[in-house]
Amino acid sequence: MSDLQWVSCEQIMPALVLFIDHELPTESEYQVFEFHFQNCPPCLQTMEHERTAIEFMQNLLRNTCTEQAPEGLNERILQQTQMLAGQTQVEFFSQTTITEFSFDGTTSIQVTQEFTQEIRHDFN
Amino acid sequence: MDIDAGLEVAVVDRATESPAQKKARFERDALAYTSQLYAAALRYTKNTQDAQDLVQDTYAKAFVAFHQFEPGTNLKAWLYRILTTTFINTYRKDQRRPQLSDGELEDWQIFEAASHTSDQGRSAEDVALDGIADGDVKDALAAMPEDFRMAVYLADVEGFSYKEIAEIVGVPSGTVMSRLHRGRKLLRESLAEYAKERGFNRGGSHV
Repeated sequence: MSDLQWVSCEQIMPALVLFIDHELPTESEYQVFEFHFQNCPPCLQTMEHERTAIEFMQNLLRNTCTEQAPEGLNERILQQTQMLAGQTQVEFFSQTTITEFSFDGTTSIQVTQEFTQEIRHDFN
Repeated sequence: MDIDAGLEVAVVDRATESPAQKKARFERDALAYTSQLYAAALRYTKNTQDAQDLVQDTYAKAFVAFHQFEPGTNLKAWLYRILTTTFINTYRKDQRRPQLSDGELEDWQIFEAASHTSDQGRSAEDVALDGIADGDVKDALAAMPEDFRMAVYLADVEGFSYKEIAEIVGVPSGTVMSRLHRGRKLLRESLAEYAKERGFNRGGSHV
């Protein structure tokens, strides 16, 4: 016999999905599960059935959710990056100026590192 | 997923990196994920216009915060976190959606004490799913409660771990686990319903 710990079906069953999802916390727990499956055909069968069902669903979803980003979107993201690169993090001397945009892009504020420190200083 | 990690092995010193280098690195590494993020955004927002806006907003935030991203760590998970947080904070705000009470989702309760015999009836259901159409899968996903849909999508399509999903969505790992488990069960049942209806519509004549 192996020196591996024998655990009951009642302990194995609730954590079956963790075994299937590779989410058991330690390597030794996988060995405990494998050891149980080697000696308990019903649990092995249940695990294999559940794993097949999960993998079937994963394949179905992965083959379905395959939309490509529209060309226009990629183009807009490139332009946006270009614009933000021109406006953020202008560095001169030891000062950093950061331009922050509001979410809709209508307003912006400029903050320099030194300025930020001064504000903090006032409140201390 | 190992391939993704391989792309980011180049050592980057963010302290000495010029803005132009940062931009180039962003365009090379982050922009590789636009289609993946778009597909996820479609699942979140359920329409193409909002999905495009959400992805564009995500990239604006990601670029502005790119100096905070630690090179060599999981860029895809970092982008998904921005996408998901942006969706939750912005796009979802106005929606009146039925919220799941947390009491419903107690972590370990959902693992009903399964017995060896309770699974016997399932095979027929799984076999029936073979005839399911792409549109049915998307409809079934869209009809699921949002929290479940996100958990299933992030785990089963994107292959994120429970811990990664917990960070992306901003909930504990145990909650991710219960949402994923419940979500998979819901999806399976709902697809079985679609398959059944299709079977009936064909007059049960499929041999």
